[in-house]
Amino acid sequence: MKWLYKLFMKRSSWSFPYFIFLLVFVVLPLVLIGIYAFQDAAGKFTLDNFSKFISNPEAANTFVYSIGIAIITTLLCILLGYPAAYILSNRSLCRSRVMVVLFILPMWINILVRTLATVALFDFMHLPLGEGALIFGMVYNFLPFMIYPIYNTMSKMDHSYIEAAQDLGANPFTVFSKVVLPLSMPGVMSGVMMVFMPTISTFAIAELLTMNNIKLFGTTIQENINNGMWNYGAALSLIMLVIIFATDLFRDNEEDRATNEGGII
Amino acid sequence: MKKFFAQTYLWLLLALLYAPIVIIAIFSFTEAKVLGNWTGFSTKLYTSLFQSGAHHSLVRAIENTLVIALIAATVSTLLGSVAAIGIERLRGHKKMVLNTLNNIPMLNPDIITGISLFLLFVSLGISQGYTTVILAHITFCTPYVVLCVLPRLQQMNPNIFEAALDLGATPFQALRKVLIPEIKPGMISGFILAFTLSIDDFAVTIFTIGTEGLETLSTFIYADARKGGLTPELRPLSTIIFATVLLLLVVINVRAERNRRKEEEAAR
Amino acid sequence: MRKFYSMVTALLVGFALTALTGCGVDDSRLSILKVYNWADYIDEDLLSEFEEWYLEQTGEEVKVVYQLFDINEIMLAKIERGKEDFDVVCPSEYIIERMLRNDLLLPINKDFGTTPNYLGNISPYIHRVFDKIDGHGKDANDYAVGYMWGTTGFLYNPKYVTREEVSSWSALWNPKFSKKLLIKDAFRDVYCPLLIYAKQQELASGAMSLDSLMYDSSDASIALVEGLLKRAKPHVAGWEADFGKEIMTKEKAWLNLSWSGDAVWAIDEAEAVGVELDYVVPDEGSVVWFDGWVIPKYAKNTKAAAYFINFMCKPENAIRNMDAIGYVSVIATPEVMDYMSESAVESGCEEPLDVRYFFGEDADSVVINPAMYPDVSVINRCGMMHDSGARTANLLEMWSRVKGDNLNSGMVIFILLFFGCLFVLGVVRKVRRRRQRNRRW
Repeated sequence: MKWLYKLFMKRSSWSFPYFIFLLVFVVLPLVLIGIYAFQDAAGKFTLDNFSKFISNPEAANTFVYSIGIAIITTLLCILLGYPAAYILSNRSLCRSRVMVVLFILPMWINILVRTLATVALFDFMHLPLGEGALIFGMVYNFLPFMIYPIYNTMSKMDHSYIEAAQDLGANPFTVFSKVVLPLSMPGVMSGVMMVFMPTISTFAIAELLTMNNIKLFGTTIQENINNGMWNYGAALSLIMLVIIFATDLFRDNEEDRATNEGGII
Repeated sequence: MKKFFAQTYLWLLLALLYAPIVIIAIFSFTEAKVLGNWTGFSTKLYTSLFQSGAHHSLVRAIENTLVIALIAATVSTLLGSVAAIGIERLRGHKKMVLNTLNNIPMLNPDIITGISLFLLFVSLGISQGYTTVILAHITFCTPYVVLCVLPRLQQMNPNIFEAALDLGATPFQALRKVLIPEIKPGMISGFILAFTLSIDDFAVTIFTIGTEGLETLSTFIYADARKGGLTPELRPLSTIIFATVLLLLVVINVRAERNRRKEEEAAR
Repeated sequence: MRKFYSMVTALLVGFALTALTGCGVDDSRLSILKVYNWADYIDEDLLSEFEEWYLEQTGEEVKVVYQLFDINEIMLAKIERGKEDFDVVCPSEYIIERMLRNDLLLPINKDFGTTPNYLGNISPYIHRVFDKIDGHGKDANDYAVGYMWGTTGFLYNPKYVTREEVSSWSALWNPKFSKKLLIKDAFRDVYCPLLIYAKQQELASGAMSLDSLMYDSSDASIALVEGLLKRAKPHVAGWEADFGKEIMTKEKAWLNLSWSGDAVWAIDEAEAVGVELDYVVPDEGSVVWFDGWVIPKYAKNTKAAAYFINFMCKPENAIRNMDAIGYVSVIATPEVMDYMSESAVESGCEEPLDVRYFFGEDADSVVINPAMYPDVSVINRCGMMHDSGARTANLLEMWSRVKGDNLNSGMVIFILLFFGCLFVLGVVRKVRRRRQRNRRW
């Protein structure tokens, strides 16, 4: 009993239930699907699925293109969402808390219905469908995921820091770049995660808003699965996971070192 | 002046976000099967929506969607918040591993998450239905909750919690009086995001839905889109759902505003 | 805190509910019929009427549990890998073929005792098409019963496109329709007709039979079709999954390679908004598709399943289904013909067609909608698609090569620039931090 209490006292052990949950519902299923990536249709071990990815430029190009679209979407979301979150969290600029919820409400309409409405909107304004429409649709769809975490951190921000900086003679720009921005960084990072990652693997938006002329990596995977080619589809998604996490690993190391050195704040 | 610009910006952004919804609302008042064709004003879609019979399954699908979303969002909020409290204290490799695992459900295309969970349930011999759909939704919702709560914890002064303990608070009290209030807005955001994701999900649901005739709004809509285009009744339905929620929000807002004003007056 | 408790209770109630709905299934499984069908593909009132009818005929109660799917392969995966116990399913022809080959189907018991057997109402033409299903020795007519059928062709807008122009598949690369052309995003339904087009001389001279050509997915044939599609590609405005009909009714595209079922839907809708559309199967030939009822291997209530299939073949039910969904039923009794002929006359069809192949000997000149029941001269040039098995991967690869990717140098430069900036920023930050630390020392 005592060790249980001790365990409970140690806050880091609180992540344990979630760790178990992740093992069962994320890692184990991923292993199951990972097995498919190394099999051919008959169930024999093979690396063909991976060599096919390398020898087919389409899939690799689509992947790079999706990363590009994801970067653009994420940047635009920050550009539009950051000021919005700043205003929302600032009591003197926006008093109503319900405004925040207003930003997520459109998402309660089903994505397919919403995207078809966006297509109708583009029609109505005589705008062509294509890359522009795709990026609009992506930003439209993921903006709330950027605003929310930034709003979160900003509304908790200690305003005495800002006042102190102002008292010490910092101009508004310096206040922003030296105080507000670093303090809201954890929120921005969360937002980037929530926008960047799902953007690469969405499909319905691209299908409808570009009349299927632009393919994202999610579409490629979807297409393979929907035609019964689970093995190649599994390999593609495994490749994507590995590449993304390779960059993620790099980033985390940097930041960890920074915190260990007593950086950031 | 500054406030004026800020408000204008917000409303412009909202106008952009709401433009497609307005289109849906407008075209819910015409009979055309295709969204964007106008065949004259009519409220026929609204009346046919409320007729029992063919669209009965639609109403049941909405009920299922809401129940699933509520349960999934609640569980993910609890699980995710507890996890975030722990993760924030982790260091080094352990933290990295957990962060990476946490990102997987977000990065994985929905369909892969769906298939992998489907394989899991099949190999564990769990019969699929309500429970499996909820479990699957918890799986892909929780990471978003973690990402909402974590920044609040990182911002928090770590000494406050320790101080509470030093001053003789039990860990439970410290949690209740110090930690929970700090992360509450994050939990609320997380809950809302999880709820939204759950309502919208299709690919994961379709694979974990089983054989008991369970339909959610999104499986209904997607299946619908393949043959013969979207049921036009979805337009009045979306409009009604949306108008209701909006009205609810306005009411809450007005009331909160009135309360606040009263409090301010009382304080004076 | 109270909030927390109420949350927990809500959860517990939720789980209790799910547990309740979860159990109590097995004991009464024979009173449940699990139907797995496409959405909007049945007159849903028929489901409850079937329950009454079944009680009348057999004295047994049954409750229909109805579930929807949207993609053939997902349905297949759920049955093949998930061993889910659907009793009656409605897949497309090539999936029926694949299920038959993989031993996933049960034979349909056609002995209904005193209940009339309606399966004989199915057109002999459909039986002949079913004979072409290659089930590795198994006769598809024992395992599957047709439901709806149609062809692949051009949906077009007569205002901009003449009938002559779309009487050949070469309309796909006619510069006149540049950027006004939509192609169905279904490689099977595009590959087969274009293969027929490419081999039209061999087919005409008799050097090759249509039935054998339909099995052909060799590298040479794939390359041939790929060449044709690449000629069409610059003119293509979009590859539609299910939005083509909508774009056509808005006159934003003039020509759409699509299924007859979708075409009929679009023609109706276009009429409502005052746009004229028409459907034609090009002269070189095309493919017929159909969906049929089957009983999967893991079905638990095969008796009710067979009765359900029988019930769907009742002529009046077939008519009701056709009215509800706009597709063409495989049922070919005189009452179906009269009904369809009447509605065709009402909507302004005049030209009589020879549909003996479908309705039998008396139907040598019937006024009927040609988009739904093509003339015999068209049908003779239509083949049946087969499951391409392991070659599916090659077809899909060809398809993605044709559709291509959108990576351009602008995007590459942008990505490189972006990562370059990130890198520079990181270095600058590090250098600055080091300097700060040095200062501190």
